[in-house]
Amino acid sequence: MRRVPYAIALGFCAAFVLLPLLAMLLDSVRSPSGFSLAAYGTILQDATLRGQFLASLELGLVATLLAWLFGFGHAYLTFRTDLPGARWLGPLGILPLVVPPILVAMGFADFADVKGFWSCALLLGLSYAPFVAVLSARGLRSIDGRLYEAGLIARGRGPAERLLARMILPEMLAGCLFAFIFVISEHGVPEFLTVKGKTWHTYAEGVFSLWTRRATGVLHEDLVSPTVASLPLVLLIVLALAIALRLRARSSVRGDQQPLPIRTLGRWRWPALLLPLFYLSGGVGVPVVVMARWAAGSTVVNQPMSIDQVRESFRLAWTEAGGDLRSTLWIGMATTLILLFVALPLARRAARRSGFVELVSVVPLAVPAILLGIGLVHVYNHPLAARAYAHLGDFYDSFGIVACAYAARFLPFGVLPLASAARRLPEHLEEAAALTGRGAAARTFRIYLPLMLPAIWSSACLIFILALRELDLAVVLPAGNGTVVRRLSNVVHFGGENMGGALALCLLLAALLLPILTLLLTGRKLRPLS
Amino acid sequence: MHTITIDQLTFRRKEGFQLGPLSLSLERGERVALLGPSGCGKTTFLRLLAGLEPADGGTISFGEKLVTDGKRLTPPGERRIGFVFQDGALWPHLTAIEQLRFADPALSRPDALRLLERVGLGDHAGRRPRKLSGGEQQRLALARALVGEPRLLLLDEPLHSVDVHLRDDLSLLIRKLAEERGLGLIVVTHDREEALAMADRLVILRDGRIVEQGLATELLTRPKTAYGAAFLCRAVCFEAAKVDSGEHAGRFQTVFGLLPGTNGLSPRPQVLVLLPGDVRVASVAGAHTAQARVLSVAPGENGKMATVELAGRSLRVPCASSLSPGSTVALELCGAPRFLERDASAPEGGG
Repeated sequence: MRRVPYAIALGFCAAFVLLPLLAMLLDSVRSPSGFSLAAYGTILQDATLRGQFLASLELGLVATLLAWLFGFGHAYLTFRTDLPGARWLGPLGILPLVVPPILVAMGFADFADVKGFWSCALLLGLSYAPFVAVLSARGLRSIDGRLYEAGLIARGRGPAERLLARMILPEMLAGCLFAFIFVISEHGVPEFLTVKGKTWHTYAEGVFSLWTRRATGVLHEDLVSPTVASLPLVLLIVLALAIALRLRARSSVRGDQQPLPIRTLGRWRWPALLLPLFYLSGGVGVPVVVMARWAAGSTVVNQPMSIDQVRESFRLAWTEAGGDLRSTLWIGMATTLILLFVALPLARRAARRSGFVELVSVVPLAVPAILLGIGLVHVYNHPLAARAYAHLGDFYDSFGIVACAYAARFLPFGVLPLASAARRLPEHLEEAAALTGRGAAARTFRIYLPLMLPAIWSSACLIFILALRELDLAVVLPAGNGTVVRRLSNVVHFGGENMGGALALCLLLAALLLPILTLLLTGRKLRPLS
Repeated sequence: MHTITIDQLTFRRKEGFQLGPLSLSLERGERVALLGPSGCGKTTFLRLLAGLEPADGGTISFGEKLVTDGKRLTPPGERRIGFVFQDGALWPHLTAIEQLRFADPALSRPDALRLLERVGLGDHAGRRPRKLSGGEQQRLALARALVGEPRLLLLDEPLHSVDVHLRDDLSLLIRKLAEERGLGLIVVTHDREEALAMADRLVILRDGRIVEQGLATELLTRPKTAYGAAFLCRAVCFEAAKVDSGEHAGRFQTVFGLLPGTNGLSPRPQVLVLLPGDVRVASVAGAHTAQARVLSVAPGENGKMATVELAGRSLRVPCASSLSPGSTVALELCGAPRFLERDASAPEGGG
């Protein structure tokens, strides 16, 4: 019984992760004359790409540092100190994840001159700080307060704080590395800033530009150039990912324990509020306010902002992009369902046994989304593949492939938290069920899944939000044109800010749908997803 | 006929720990306690019996049916055993009655309520585990283990998370339920009192092997090994060097001077074993007394008890209230000395 869902999950990974990447890799070493590494030689000697690689690295480091400042600062201040309103501010640390980075960029661009390296780093730092915030908060929650108190009694505050820092280091660094991975893979924001007059380019932009040029290329080197050029980036991400996973595995969330004692900030209590407020207003407040202003007609020439304009913007959004909004929601829900169906059996296996499963599940994170998208196009836009899925209709041009691609891309965000939750389930609970002699289905549906429900729901919320804000895959896949994020990014090029603002607000509201439902249905305190 | 026969059972963990080879048999309805220090393999043994771990070698038979033979493993659910885990392992999302009815869907609601009533949880049928105390949780775990008419009940330190003052009640309940239903029972514990409260036969385990087994009454009064005496009877062992063969059993040089051996001793090295009550404070020092230093004096159940240090070991002896810590006192044996074969790893115990 357990083997069937597991086999289906592995099949999905093979079809939507391994096969596209493998096909591209094979193509890159296959020339009309046979095996050849010539394409690698050509691309790797390209000085432009080398420069872009260094620029990405630099951007990644600075943005990650900023993400650490905002994320860790927010988690520490709201979880560990007597900051005013910490109880409310703490869970809000994840909120910037709801806002697509492109919206943050568009929001800032509306009232400031955001075109340099530092602007880009700040925007990406704000957008990816939730990874650091969530994992740091998880780290702080997992520490038994008695360990800190023992250090405090034995050696005093300084050494006790250093001990605490060492204990949360694995989680915090893992958060930073995840932020780093996303920053260096990010294509949307740097590309948006190019429109605003940026004079330098990132590696992900370089890869995408090779992909677009590929359409007109005729030489083998041209055709395989996006794959080949991605290699250094993939290697860098794999390295960061390996370290992040190792660090994350080293930390553990335990059950019954005493929470960490709260530190008093004294006269810094109110000034310290500035950091979480800056983080939240930058990551959420600015884009939301700017989008609301756009919806109210701030960009419409010779017209004051008004409620009528708001109404008009939402009407426009509904008539022009209502279909996009509906399809985005469908894609989000389909992605969530597909991913849970795939991730649950993988997580169950990963929790008890194999590192292999965890390895397979993080592969999609090891390649830039753009490259995964290119790989999917490569495989599913092939006549052979088209014949194979002919009975599914025009799968390649449908939202189905978008949902599958998103599910593949976000696989780690399903498998890793679910495996972590499954690991925390006492093994005795499943053994006790096995001793009753009940079948695997009864044990799964009556014992395992209900016990996993909080983690499943958290993962579902996270996946749904990520699916709604994904831009890089939407750019590559044809059906991705029908998503809200894609349409919003077009606003940059083609105008229509008032409609775009209304649409962005609808998207944000939709992204908050599941977390709000959680609050309403369970009445539970909103806890950061971890 | 034996209910359970375990023959040459072995199990090896990656870390190097090895259980067995271990052989044991249980009569129908027999109650056995498995005793031993932490890490000696008690719980592993129970898990092998339940089929939660595959054995590396040997066999386990339930009646005529072979359930483990190294190659085949009958699934836990088909062995008809009840298992009470150390922490109860109650499913947190199910109420008390749901726990029982999940374990056996054929169990009717009235029957489930009757069973809950029997373990003293009649009023708690609709409660989830977190709303129950530690003792109530273990009662519920016990009730769940009894569902489905098991032939054998396995209990892994069932009183571990129960308040001390409730332990007697629960152990009595376990014993009574096993007796009522004619169930075989194997309880794992490192607590002697728990073992004696629930079982008639004791099996002492050390480093994955059986050191000693027998009826509780026998082992308590006449332990067969120094390890068993130290672990079960809180005996203290002292060096005993054989100085001559003598007419029968020879004589031994001990902390109490030269003492005569007893008949039937093996020719192997022996130790002098002192059970609680074997030693008293002597009125005068003599040839068969030993000088001990008083460490502390505290009230005991039958008057004052002194903790004294003798040849590097501490033991407790009844004493007069005039003794003070730091003073020296002469000790003498109350009866005939007891010698047992030397056991290099016999734990050092207090008297």
